[in-house]
Amino acid sequence: MGKNIKVVPRHGREFKDRLYLPAIYNGMKITFKHLIDNVADSNAVDTLEYPEEQPTDITERYRGLHRLTHRDDDTMACVACFMCATACPSNCIFIEATERNDGKDEKMPSRFAIDTLECVFCGYCVEACPCDAIRMDTGIFSLIGNSREDFVLERDQLLKHKGVFGEENSRARK
Amino acid sequence: MTLAAIIIAIVSFALGALLALLMIPVLVWLERRGAGLIQDRLGPNRTNVGGFRFGGVVQSFADVVKLVLKEEYYPSHIKDHRWLFILAPMITFVAALLAFMVIPFADNIVIAGESLKIQALPVEYGVLWYLAIGAVGVIGIFFGGWLSHNKYSLLGASRAGSMMISYELPLGLSVLAFVITYNSIDFNAMVAWQSGTVLGFLPAWGIVVQPLGAIILIIALFAETNRAPFSVSEGESEIVAGYMTEYTAMKFAMYFMGEYVAMNTASAVIITMVFGGYQLPWVSTEMLIENFRYFAWAIMVVMPVVVYFVIEWMYKNNAVRPTVISDGSREFEAKVLSIVMVVMTLVVEVILVYLSSAQDAVLGTSIAVMLLQIVVFVVKLMIFNLFFILVRWTLPRFRYDQVQDLGWRYLLPLSLVNLFITAIVVVGVS
Repeated sequence: MGKNIKVVPRHGREFKDRLYLPAIYNGMKITFKHLIDNVADSNAVDTLEYPEEQPTDITERYRGLHRLTHRDDDTMACVACFMCATACPSNCIFIEATERNDGKDEKMPSRFAIDTLECVFCGYCVEACPCDAIRMDTGIFSLIGNSREDFVLERDQLLKHKGVFGEENSRARK
Repeated sequence: MTLAAIIIAIVSFALGALLALLMIPVLVWLERRGAGLIQDRLGPNRTNVGGFRFGGVVQSFADVVKLVLKEEYYPSHIKDHRWLFILAPMITFVAALLAFMVIPFADNIVIAGESLKIQALPVEYGVLWYLAIGAVGVIGIFFGGWLSHNKYSLLGASRAGSMMISYELPLGLSVLAFVITYNSIDFNAMVAWQSGTVLGFLPAWGIVVQPLGAIILIIALFAETNRAPFSVSEGESEIVAGYMTEYTAMKFAMYFMGEYVAMNTASAVIITMVFGGYQLPWVSTEMLIENFRYFAWAIMVVMPVVVYFVIEWMYKNNAVRPTVISDGSREFEAKVLSIVMVVMTLVVEVILVYLSSAQDAVLGTSIAVMLLQIVVFVVKLMIFNLFFILVRWTLPRFRYDQVQDLGWRYLLPLSLVNLFITAIVVVGVS
């Protein structure tokens, strides 16, 4: 046997251990203490009581619901380049492009819809966007609707979402 | 049969059915809520009827509605004997239910010179009834496991069957030791025996008189109910769900509810045989009836204090954290429930004042004593159900061979020794 081998004595063979009952007593003591503590003050249980309490620990990197960003003059940053729709692994972005006449750019989307039932929230659209026009920094984690159509977010709704981590406007299209 | 006898028979049957059946949703809820609180979670507490959540117990009723409305599904390979397949969970459920029916909820009440039993089935041979009917439950498990035509089901059923054999023996032998000690097979006589004292100051409960027999009885009853740490017949890590793998909807719910009825019955048997049944420690029924005035005064003082603390606790805990704004429905519920509790306290106080001031309210006194004993019984029953739940969420499951080992090589010889010593002591004393 090498000198680096440490022999650990085997536990659990004594009479007290084989009797089971002392160990059962010790275990029950622990669970009973937890039970009594939590019954005495159930608000001390470290659980988020969700609908009343909202999470406060959403970080900047959390991928919430999408939004379309604005330029500094509050017009749409998107140029309808179809990069996001191409990158999308679940094919949930539907864009219809139209001509843009205010001199900012050549193109803009007339329809920009995201089917959130198809979306896997991978964030590839955000990575792909060359104009910083689509972002997932809204911090919205819950979307409720009564029909399937309610979950298809259209352009104007996406433009209404606000970023919650400080950066409001597009950094690429000023 | 007098009118009083008929009324008492109906009332005690209703009480037995109520205690067994209404306890199921409460126990399912208690198990889930207890598991949550033991593991530092909250457990089901949201379901409500018109804002009344009662701590979440409404969840169980919602679950029952769900199970009843589910599709009646039969596996396609079950071709013949489908009626037996449906009957199997009912056997388990009904056996557990019937076994509960011989537990006395209060001492015999004497009305116009006639002694009446407060038992759902007023029989004198309660122990034999319990042993006989309690063991039938495993037949339902066996039918279910066999007729499912499923390896896991069959394994689960055979495990349940062999475990029943290995634990029925120590159970029977430890019960025999109790029968020798109490010199009766009537549960009520056993409780009456336990209302005395031993060594002058200890209550003569089974756990004091027969500590080894009591421990063997409790362990064997845990095995009898198929609950943790002896739940090998439904060990999901090895055999999916054991005998109920192929069962769905209400047929599954029958097995599920049968388990809780069996647990309730086992707690009732434990408290009746080992923990003094419906008796308060040191207090016998005659003492209660003779000195009812003092007990009434004690209850009149204690009950408002208890209700006060319960209301205080409810206001503290029936709310989300103080930092969070909520719609006030919980406060409303707490307010209504506390009004109900205060009114009930006042009614009890008025009745007790009347009974303790009236000169010869013999019937009223004995009914009040009966109610007091029923309350004591239910409190003890709930404590032991809680003990069952605590054990389930504390101990890991025994391996199957360890279960057999414990039954045959430790509990059986120990119960034999216990029986031998008991017999010698009883013969020596008499």
